Amino acid sequence: MTTFKMAWRNIWRNSRRTLVTVAAMSLALMVTVNYQAIMTGLLSSLEGNILDLEMGDIQVFAPDYRDRPSIYSSVDEVDPMLETLEADGYRVTTRLLAGGLAASDETSAGAMVRGLEPGREAEATLIHDHVVQGSWLDPEDPRGIVLGAKLAKSLAVAPGDEVILLSQSTDGSIANDLYEVRGVLGVISDGTDRAGVFMLDEAFRNLFYFDGGAHQLLIRTPGDVDLGTAVEYLRGLWADLDIQSWRDLLPTMSQMLDSAAAALAVFMVIIYIAIAITVINAMLMAVFERVREFGVLKAIGVEPGRVFRIILIESAMQCGLAIVIGLTLSLPLLWYVSTVGIDVGRLGGASMAGMAMDPIWLGVVTPATFVIPVVLLIFMVALAVLYPALKAARIQPVEAMRYQ
Amino acid sequence: MKSITVVLLTILAAGGASAADDPEVQALLVRMDDLYRGTASSHGKMTMRVKTNRFQREISMEMWSEGAEKSLIRILGPARDRGTATLKADQNIWNYLPKVDRTIKVPVAMMSGSWMGSHLSNDDLVDSSRFSEDFQCHAVQKSESKQGFWLLECVPNEDAVVVYSKTTLKIRANNEIATEVTDYDERGNPVRTMMLSEIDEISGRLYPRHIRMVPNDKPGEYTEMIYDEMEFDVRLPEDTFTLRSLKK
Repeated sequence: MTTFKMAWRNIWRNSRRTLVTVAAMSLALMVTVNYQAIMTGLLSSLEGNILDLEMGDIQVFAPDYRDRPSIYSSVDEVDPMLETLEADGYRVTTRLLAGGLAASDETSAGAMVRGLEPGREAEATLIHDHVVQGSWLDPEDPRGIVLGAKLAKSLAVAPGDEVILLSQSTDGSIANDLYEVRGVLGVISDGTDRAGVFMLDEAFRNLFYFDGGAHQLLIRTPGDVDLGTAVEYLRGLWADLDIQSWRDLLPTMSQMLDSAAAALAVFMVIIYIAIAITVINAMLMAVFERVREFGVLKAIGVEPGRVFRIILIESAMQCGLAIVIGLTLSLPLLWYVSTVGIDVGRLGGASMAGMAMDPIWLGVVTPATFVIPVVLLIFMVALAVLYPALKAARIQPVEAMRYQ
Repeated sequence: MKSITVVLLTILAAGGASAADDPEVQALLVRMDDLYRGTASSHGKMTMRVKTNRFQREISMEMWSEGAEKSLIRILGPARDRGTATLKADQNIWNYLPKVDRTIKVPVAMMSGSWMGSHLSNDDLVDSSRFSEDFQCHAVQKSESKQGFWLLECVPNEDAVVVYSKTTLKIRANNEIATEVTDYDERGNPVRTMMLSEIDEISGRLYPRHIRMVPNDKPGEYTEMIYDEMEFDVRLPEDTFTLRSLKK
């Protein structure tokens, strides 16, 4: 009889024990696969929101803009830059920035006015997806503006209402005009929520008599280009401009994401340890229960190597079974976390360190979602079975008989 | 700085008891105070010239004031801004914008912003602090002769709503009119200097026709205000300082 066949028969000789062991491993897999998916999703949505809605990967300013924001400090000669960037596979949008005052019939509030071209903006950011009332900017509607959530609330306006923007034009005259609220954004970031006013590039230029380039270029790197490399490359191209990665612009946020990732990794380790103890316990018991059986095997002349192999193969079989069952059972759960998600909105706020956080955590399934838990399970099982298997292989038949 | 309409009145004519320990300084403040005591109202026309490194413009305006608390300024030119008006009542500022036919109250957060593109802020317009009440003044230099100058150093009281850490006044001894007023930041660096010249007399009151504000951190920039016409103690219609008359 082959070792393989013996192992197969062995595991079904006590089917209840096998089922318990397989169930423990399957459950462990289900938990870790889903946990992996949720945490990957959470981290990528945190970072994704920051980059997709507010920051881009890299920003370009005139050298003095960030120290002293002024409507006069703009990046000029933008068009050739855009061509170069696009030829290299970067996606890029331009933004015009100015401060001002937004006023409704009721009241008024400080405003950060941002002029942009909707077509270009959609290439680089997803802010158009975050309009919760009304609609996003339309190139056909130069009077339309989109407001941050808190600003709309404090002005007590909704889509269709009129808002006046008041500021100072580049020639010193009073910039003022009447606009219609087209849309109101959801949670983006504290700054945008409180004061963000988005309008067409053209409307911005008319309001402020602005004929310069752009105050800010928001760049998305191609997927295969590392952020640091991209920044270095762009700095090489335009040494006289202020070119920063989002990590440099938002160091706190960047660190927070890193430490969140570290904290999640620590939680992950704790969860794996808890699961490892369960699995190892089941494996240890399964072998120690059968000491007498192994003693008999040795007594009828089975060499230690074969006993060792039998136990390993038994474990491998159980483990394989658990992987099939565990992964199959985790699929519906994975489908749920990655499509419906976990709503944490009711548990508390939906912003983290001033940046938007989706109130619904969506799981993200990648190859790593399956590979990491499976590899770790195999590792744990191997670890759990090695010691009892060695012990069983070396056992003296007489001792085994006496073993209680 | 004070409301530009009554800039001199409040700077030079600090009302109430003098905060100076020095009886001589106190006497000076009291005399300056007396000079404008009883000034109920004023009406005038002036030209404001703003020179920045980016633009230069000239605005002509008409204004009315009552005490230090209320004033109305209406822009006469250039044509693009004509009709734009600012009403200051109590501690609030409203702007009327003829282009959109709306009146907007300037929110607290915007009070430190520039007024009409000048080097004056909205805060300057509503600032009703008084040297005699909100500052501790002492003489750095006293003038013995009528030709000299007094130099006063005034530090705001803790509870005063003043953004500057210190203000110095240079006062001409012969007419007791300040010719130079400098504001300092928390580190003791001068932030801006206001120069007053072309002292004129109207209905027995002295006032400078020419005021020039120079920000220290922007070389080459300044805002100039030239009073073209000025009258004191005028009878103003009761509804002068209302939102309705702002729109007119």
